[in-house]
Amino acid sequence: MTHQIEAICGRYVTVEIAGRTQRIYFEEAGQGRPVLCLHTAGADTRQWRHILNDGEFTENNRIIAFDMPWHGKSLPPEGFETEEYLLTTEAYIATVLAIADALGLENPILAGCSMGGRIALQIAALHPGRFSGFIAIEASDFQPAWYDIDWFHRPDAHGGEMGAALVSANIAPHAPQAERWNTLWMFMQSGPGVFRGDLSFYTRDDSLVANISRIDTAIAPVHILCGEYDLTCTPEDATRTHQAIAGSTLEIMTELGHFPMSENPARFRPYFARALALVGASGT
Amino acid sequence: MVDAALKPVLDMIAVMIDATPHLLRLGALFSETVLLEVDGDAYYLVFHRGRLETIAYGQNRKTPWRFAIRTDSEALHKFWQPLPSPGFHDIFGLVKLGRATIDGDILMLVKNLRYIKEILAIPRTGSLA
Repeated sequence: MTHQIEAICGRYVTVEIAGRTQRIYFEEAGQGRPVLCLHTAGADTRQWRHILNDGEFTENNRIIAFDMPWHGKSLPPEGFETEEYLLTTEAYIATVLAIADALGLENPILAGCSMGGRIALQIAALHPGRFSGFIAIEASDFQPAWYDIDWFHRPDAHGGEMGAALVSANIAPHAPQAERWNTLWMFMQSGPGVFRGDLSFYTRDDSLVANISRIDTAIAPVHILCGEYDLTCTPEDATRTHQAIAGSTLEIMTELGHFPMSENPARFRPYFARALALVGASGT
Repeated sequence: MVDAALKPVLDMIAVMIDATPHLLRLGALFSETVLLEVDGDAYYLVFHRGRLETIAYGQNRKTPWRFAIRTDSEALHKFWQPLPSPGFHDIFGLVKLGRATIDGDILMLVKNLRYIKEILAIPRTGSLA
């Protein structure tokens, strides 16, 4: 068997977020226009592995993804052992901006999936000018939970395994088996209470509904992508959100679900290429 | 009543579980009765340690069950296609489409969700997906 060392490079950066020191793990590949990528709830940077390894994307773009605190290889902050993890809009925005500043990103694109797409739209509304374009994947203004988020943090059951079994509902049946299970594995590995804490933000904070009219696509274009098999952020949710943002663009992706870049990278690739071109980065 | 087309499908699920070691491992702690209701007809699926040991047909108020999945035969037919349409690809999708309801001890379902989803998906391929 031949050996292959991937182009992805992983490092750590320490930043201050709301007065707390956070050691953040990030991966990057490529050179050119920075494209900062945000993972979904209950997962980590590995969701972006195929985009980071795509030479046609990295030829002219610097693709970067980072693990949110408590996720992947980013440790929770000091004192976490007695803390209930509950992500907030404010902390999430502060984290994304802190990373962009720490890495010295100039005119970056922000691409986020699910809760990452939600916060991308919040940043578009509340911090115009910080990013030069937004790709909001499986993102909507708001939708309440169709499940009980407390299922995923209990002493008598494995929250990660239950979370993975639940989110499998959001993967299209067309996903290659290997990538389906790679995608679910991240949820199985999620730290105790982390998926629940992310979902607290995602399913209870509806503040984007009031902010969404502030998004000015003349300052930075917004492109929304949504998989037709996404039960959480449905095409109807994405369409409603698109209609609320004047000048935004939308593409419904066939044979894809809630984790398109991870569950079926070959299928997602042309949609992401078009998205990059639409928001001013280098598509392929 | 018993749907003549459904009975062999449920029997096949029971046979396939027995032949699938990873399902028996996933269901090793699952010994419950699940009510599957299709077009109002009742099918009590009695599991013991991950094996589907008995399928009792017909409504019986004396039969206790842990949770129930109620749907219609057309929805189930679409659910069992190899590549189901959006929404028909998952039991919670059926619920979201208004084509199924799930009631009873939902937490018991969620604790065993991977197992339940995989055994219900067996007819898509006649084997494991």
